[in-house]
Amino acid sequence: MSKVTPAVIDDDPSAYETKHVHEVYDQIASHFSSTRYKPWPIIAAFLASLPPGWVGLDSGTGNGKYLPLPLERPGSVWTIGLDRSRNLLDAARNAGGAVREVVWGDVLGNGWRIGAFDYAISIATIHHLATPARRREAVERLLQSVSPSHGRVLIYVWAIEQDALSKRQIPTTPDASSPGAIVGEDVYVPWVLNPQPGPQKTSRRRKAATESEPEPSHEVQIEPQTFHRYYHMFAEGELDGLVNEAAKQLRLVIGPHTSAQRHTLGVEIVQSGWERSNHYVEVKRWQA
Amino acid sequence: MVRLITHNLLACHVKGCTSNNFPLKLQDVQIALREAEFNEDFLRGFIPRLEWGALVQAAREVGDDSLPAEVPEMLDDEFLKQLHHVLLEIHIDEGSMVCPNCKHVYPISSGIPNMLLAEHEIG
Repeated sequence: MSKVTPAVIDDDPSAYETKHVHEVYDQIASHFSSTRYKPWPIIAAFLASLPPGWVGLDSGTGNGKYLPLPLERPGSVWTIGLDRSRNLLDAARNAGGAVREVVWGDVLGNGWRIGAFDYAISIATIHHLATPARRREAVERLLQSVSPSHGRVLIYVWAIEQDALSKRQIPTTPDASSPGAIVGEDVYVPWVLNPQPGPQKTSRRRKAATESEPEPSHEVQIEPQTFHRYYHMFAEGELDGLVNEAAKQLRLVIGPHTSAQRHTLGVEIVQSGWERSNHYVEVKRWQA
Repeated sequence: MVRLITHNLLACHVKGCTSNNFPLKLQDVQIALREAEFNEDFLRGFIPRLEWGALVQAAREVGDDSLPAEVPEMLDDEFLKQLHHVLLEIHIDEGSMVCPNCKHVYPISSGIPNMLLAEHEIG
């Protein structure tokens, strides 16, 4: 079985991402999409907590699996899906069996009115950017996309600390400055694609570890093709650090809003943590 | 898909194009009308977030002049139904969106707007 291997970014980061992320997703889009259907509980809870009338951005929407949420009150909020892969958007546009709003764009773009959205989510996306500066910029774009007075942002990235149930074996390096800790890593994660477009029997299996790799199907005789996607796997604390750097870059005060502050723009980390091989952070913007 | 709900959020993001970059002008559009489920709670919540003038203008550009120039004080059923239709039932399948400031053209193809810029065009 294919393994996760260390990655070396040997090109201009934008050209590198085109080759090792965007082109791969365009090629595996259909199969990838058929394996992504179950929402993460914290993300579902976040979307269920939004008031009616809110509009949001799903930056890196993939096959659009979060666009239909919350399922218990459809149409009470609208999430606009943005992705770099045109082929994944073909799935996202009809996610959940209804017509969705999707936009072909880059997470480093700024193609909306500043602060136009009430919320933004970015799930399993920022880890595909090839430098710390580009990952920070992506967080800046999310913070800028939402309302300065009430905008909420939820970000998920893959963690270097993997769930015991995950089949992925990740090469790790100890953190020299902090004994016992490990640092984030640049890696290639394989995707095995069987070159047959027929019915995908294996794709609807419930899996213990989500985001795990599909196994080659036994019925297929043709040699499966393996694609290698670039990931930066985040270490503990790295995502929160990125949010802090992005906030500084935008001159936002970091921390909860207190009554002493006036004429100030700020951002507060509401929750952050690790869930099943992912790091997540939820932030809220405030204006005084 | 691109409907006027999304158009109301999009703006030009070419490097240096930071004023008069909204709303993007809709041109050479092919539209289709598709019924969508009416959700009054959504509409009432969303109205204060809309750029109303931009919505009225965009609706005219796609051939619908049913909206009043200002948001009415009384949000009655008839108005909400009309707003629902304009925001969520008019689909722009083909066409383009042009920045009023720098004239950059964002194409719409098979209902999907292309907001990608070349690396050197990003601000």
